[in-house]
Amino acid sequence: MRILIVEDDREAASYIRKGLRESGHVVDHAGDGEEGLEMARAAEYDVLVVDRMMPRMDGLAMVETLRGEEDRTPVLILSALGEVDNRVEGLKAGGDDYLVKPYAFAELLARVEALARRRDPDAVRTKLVVGDLEMDLLARTVMRDEEDILLQPREFRLLEFLMKHSGQVVTRTMLLEKVWDYHFDPQTNVIDVHISRLRSKIDKPFARPLLHTVRGAGYRLQS
Amino acid sequence: MTQRWPAFLRTTAFRQTLLSAAMFAVSSFLILAFVYAASAGLTLRRADEAVNEEIAAVEARFEAGGITAVNRYILQRTVGGGEYFYALTQPSGRRLSGNLSGQINAQPDEEGRVQFTYRRPPAGEVSTEKDERTGRGRIVPLASGYSLFVGLDVHDEIRLIGRITNTILAASGLAVALGIAAGIFVSRRFVRRLDKINKVARGVKAGDLQRRVERNYTGDELDELSGNFNGMLDRVEELMHRMRQTGDSIAHDLRSPLTRMRNRLEQALMEEGNLETRELALERAIADTDELLGVFNAILSLSRLEAGESRASIVRLDPSEIAADMAELYEPVCEESELEFSSEIEGGLEMIGDRGLLSQAVANLLDNAVKYTPAGGAVALRLRRTAGGDVEFSVTDTGPGIPPEDRMRVTQRFVRLDNSRTLPGSGLGLSLVQAITEVMNGRFELAEGPGLVDAGHGPGLRAALCFPLAPEPVS
Repeated sequence: MRILIVEDDREAASYIRKGLRESGHVVDHAGDGEEGLEMARAAEYDVLVVDRMMPRMDGLAMVETLRGEEDRTPVLILSALGEVDNRVEGLKAGGDDYLVKPYAFAELLARVEALARRRDPDAVRTKLVVGDLEMDLLARTVMRDEEDILLQPREFRLLEFLMKHSGQVVTRTMLLEKVWDYHFDPQTNVIDVHISRLRSKIDKPFARPLLHTVRGAGYRLQS
Repeated sequence: MTQRWPAFLRTTAFRQTLLSAAMFAVSSFLILAFVYAASAGLTLRRADEAVNEEIAAVEARFEAGGITAVNRYILQRTVGGGEYFYALTQPSGRRLSGNLSGQINAQPDEEGRVQFTYRRPPAGEVSTEKDERTGRGRIVPLASGYSLFVGLDVHDEIRLIGRITNTILAASGLAVALGIAAGIFVSRRFVRRLDKINKVARGVKAGDLQRRVERNYTGDELDELSGNFNGMLDRVEELMHRMRQTGDSIAHDLRSPLTRMRNRLEQALMEEGNLETRELALERAIADTDELLGVFNAILSLSRLEAGESRASIVRLDPSEIAADMAELYEPVCEESELEFSSEIEGGLEMIGDRGLLSQAVANLLDNAVKYTPAGGAVALRLRRTAGGDVEFSVTDTGPGIPPEDRMRVTQRFVRLDNSRTLPGSGLGLSLVQAITEVMNGRFELAEGPGLVDAGHGPGLRAALCFPLAPEPVS
């Protein structure tokens, strides 16, 4: 994947760059919003990672300009401002996801990869398949190995999210935000408990596990 | 700053005094005008009426006996030095009879009225300036070109009016002068008292938070101001104190995980060969960082809530959805911790609030219940309409509870009861719940739970969030 990082903090930028390169991506870096805008116009990127507060042109203005030019490249906005209002501003400006500083690199990587996937036209898909696990989005049913699996509505949404991002790492925070729409950190391991419930339904009765725990990062659904 | 005027001249009090003095001057002038119109006007009108009557009498003589009769009449009236002045003039302008020496030295108006001066020296003396007196009369034409003047002496009346006018003028001038003097006096006193307050304010600005304004307890405005000023300083001092305390607590709460992290990293550096230990140390260091970030985020959220910045998304909402979501989120958590979970959710309620914040508050209470209740216990989430008509979320557990004497304390920042020191947590959870409830005009109450369940359990804790019901929508 080709990724553009627009971040004025050189150290933070080189840290993200190194990490993304090690994960096998091609990474360019722009030091401010204007440079970022020029680079985004000049080349095709899969994802833009844009810092919100930058000199010359801030991240939101840059994204707004790009969206005004019909550029639909997915954008992940990085910001130290983490209140709900700030997130709403970021998403309104045209950002596709919003990550609050400081963050774990695993979180950033998971979100960048999730965004790149979003470009695939999966909006019309009515069926998700991972290995022998199948989800029918219209009938709201799940089958594995020809066997019906009964899920609660929330478990269904959780699995749907995991299947849409199969092969990718999804973090606990991502799940809490995208599946439950909460933007705070519970003190207890609520997400782990829900994952283990889901696991007992889709994995336990079967020989090969699909839902894997990625240490220090989150979970990955993979055949 | 340039000091062009003495301080008291620039005060509001002095300006007020000047203004009222000016208004007083204007009203004195109006009163004067009225008195003049009433007294002077009346006196002169009476004189005019007397003149008119006398003219009528002369005209009657003229009707009856012609000019000769008039002449005779005037002679009769003036021979003893009578009250009226007369002057009868021929068409040629020659004086026929009368007792007025000299010409009338003023122009008559349309009605023939005229005010003039004349000299009346005491008998046997030559007239001088100071014998000059004021008279008032009227000139009327008689038939066949004769003209008649009749007048009266109004000298004393006019002098009296003048004296009254002067007295009033002098009195008003004196009053205005006294008013200004009083204004200066009052405003200087005012300035002196304000100066005391200003001096204290400057002292506080320079860093001496202990200073207070001396009060005289008369209950006047300045005393009230001083009281409020002192109250404000008390509050500022309290906030500063609390901030310092929070700072200390933060330092304390952050110092231990930071120290732990440093030790682990140092140890990792020393463990040259052993990769596994090294990795473990690094992982723990990351966990410590996350803990630190958690504390940090909680502090930030708290300050935002306390500064009232989180009101943006407060809307009308159905609390049963939030309660149901929370029950669904925490039921498996309880199960895993071997706690019996139950929920009882009343529908059809509406309240005003923020979904995210409300969820966070309930999640915090459930987190605590799960954290402190020993395995085998129970946790219950309940949403209901209270007898008092409030929306009440309550979380009840069968854990150790909070002793009554500590219940007020636990909502303060960083307060952790001794038995919880060993468990993870920032000591900010209940402070956050308290702040969230306050933002939504609610109450946060802690009470004893269901009592001793069995040996080793209880008395439990009941934590309740009460919010006012949403007002009926206007249809």
